[in-house]
Amino acid sequence: MKLLEFEAKQILQRAGISVPDSYIASNEPVFLPAVIKSQVPTGGRGKAGGIVVVQTEDEYSAAVRTIANLPIKGFTPRTLLAEQLLDISRELYLSIMIDKSTAQVSMMANKNGGVEIESQDGFQSWELGDGNWEKVGQELADYFDLPEQTFTLQDLIENLYKCFISNDALLIEINPLVVTTDEQVIAGDCKMELDDAAIFRHPDWEFESEKSETNFVTLDPNGTVATVANGAGLAMATVDAVADAGLVPANFLDIGGGANEASILAAFNRLMEYPNVRVIIINIFAGITRCDEVAKAIIAARSQIDNLPPLAVRLAGTNYEQAVELLAQQDIAIQPSLTKAIEAAKESV
Amino acid sequence: MNESLLTGKNVIVQGITGSHGAFHTRAMVAAGTSVIAGTSPGKAGQDIDGIPVYNSIADIQSDMAVDTSVIFVPAAHAKAAILEAIAAKIPLIVCITEGIPVHDMLQIKQHLEKSGSRLIGPNCPGILLPGQTKLGIIPASLSLPGTVGIVSRSGTLTYEAMADLTERGIGQKYVIGIGGDPIKGTDFVDCLELFQNDPDVDSIVMIGEIGGTSEYSAADYIAEHVTKPVYAYVTGHHAPAGVQLGHAGAILGGERESAAAKTAYLHEKGIHTTNSITTLVDLMS
Repeated sequence: MKLLEFEAKQILQRAGISVPDSYIASNEPVFLPAVIKSQVPTGGRGKAGGIVVVQTEDEYSAAVRTIANLPIKGFTPRTLLAEQLLDISRELYLSIMIDKSTAQVSMMANKNGGVEIESQDGFQSWELGDGNWEKVGQELADYFDLPEQTFTLQDLIENLYKCFISNDALLIEINPLVVTTDEQVIAGDCKMELDDAAIFRHPDWEFESEKSETNFVTLDPNGTVATVANGAGLAMATVDAVADAGLVPANFLDIGGGANEASILAAFNRLMEYPNVRVIIINIFAGITRCDEVAKAIIAARSQIDNLPPLAVRLAGTNYEQAVELLAQQDIAIQPSLTKAIEAAKESV
Repeated sequence: MNESLLTGKNVIVQGITGSHGAFHTRAMVAAGTSVIAGTSPGKAGQDIDGIPVYNSIADIQSDMAVDTSVIFVPAAHAKAAILEAIAAKIPLIVCITEGIPVHDMLQIKQHLEKSGSRLIGPNCPGILLPGQTKLGIIPASLSLPGTVGIVSRSGTLTYEAMADLTERGIGQKYVIGIGGDPIKGTDFVDCLELFQNDPDVDSIVMIGEIGGTSEYSAADYIAEHVTKPVYAYVTGHHAPAGVQLGHAGAILGGERESAAAKTAYLHEKGIHTTNSITTLVDLMS
């Protein structure tokens, strides 16, 4: 789950990390001057006109009106953040994430923070563990050439590490990490991603950003072949096989283990939103899922959905025999393999 | 990892009284696995088809030795279950549970490194040695004893490759699903080493995915150490960048993590590759 800037900064502040003074912008300003920032889950806000500095009440009202209705890369903000202006001396980059290959928490830094971070090289990285922030903070102060900020950076790393662990974060990226002209170190912007899997121990998690959908992904809205499969690997493999056969897959869909008739029927209805689909390939290798449930959903879809395209059905695994019987009564053929299902699909496209 | 680690006769199931735990315990027994006991806190004294249920592994160990634990405990309690098995010094731990938080796996990895235990998974279908033993949920009815070693990150593609081989009369010695999470106990290289060192194995099927880089270390290992033919498919050729597909590990972080880049690298290292699961077994004939 990727948080919006103001949500991420609230978490940083609770962890003892300095963030700019701020308020949620509505009709009246709380303080001026201020910078009004669109809260959308994407980058490039500045270039798109989603970040505006305002000095007067008139400028404030105009900026709030404009930004509230300004879509950025398809996102229109529900919240606007108003922040104090910082007198910036330096902009640095600092992030903390999980290195999947070493199963360690790692920190990355760059002397040149700011908007063009992707094109910077010369990143430095450290492994973070309990209690090594004194040493890492010292090294970071040397790297940033900020010896007078050593204690501040040691505290920052300790707070950031504890924040990362206690919030089940996958990524905290502070960019820029601002050093002000009066030598304050403040998180100018922050991207934070939390682990959806850990929601069971965070009953307080309530964010604007919704849990991203991972099981249904549109690949090409104009595709001619829709796919339904179970398991991420098999669903990806079904898409690959469709494309490998020279057809255009519209979507990735993993109905997951334990899918039932209602959830599968709901998935069929979503596939009907693609205008050019000529055939739906259903590829189920049932372990925990049951083939007879899938068969019932197929039969329900045929009777309830108008203009349902032809189906190329391949089923295998748990309760296969029951599914064969159910589908035979409806004259729906089951293909013995994915290869055969794709051959059948080709005839419909 | 060697064959004897996988064929221990004293298997327990953690979470044996849950619906998945009980269902798959019966399926494991039907496939020839010797399940001697199970745990479920607060349910000591019950039994599943005569298999005794205990409150904890320590309680089981006061009655009998344990070689292997298969874990079906829900995600919220899976960390405690795995750590319990590590503390009990169980040599092989197979965790089927899906959806364990990444931070829990970080802690588990640190405990594992200091232990003598091996973890397979989590978020995996487990291990099947056709005709011998089944530790997990791989459908044994679709397997055939033989000489191929299969290792896969994806559960359903493990079954797909296995069933395809069986249908063509090609049997398997090992079928191992290592799991779809980004941080896991056992990776390709451990399984490749097992297959290379076992004289009963004559060829290897490897199924990778988008996301992460473990296919690269596998390719390097194969080039240096594996003399048996390896047939590989990496799924997700049409995955969009930055979008998670299904489970946690399947997210395309950068070009290097793509199916195309991984396939090209495997091919360069002398591994037989294909771009579709439908033609993976064709490569072998």
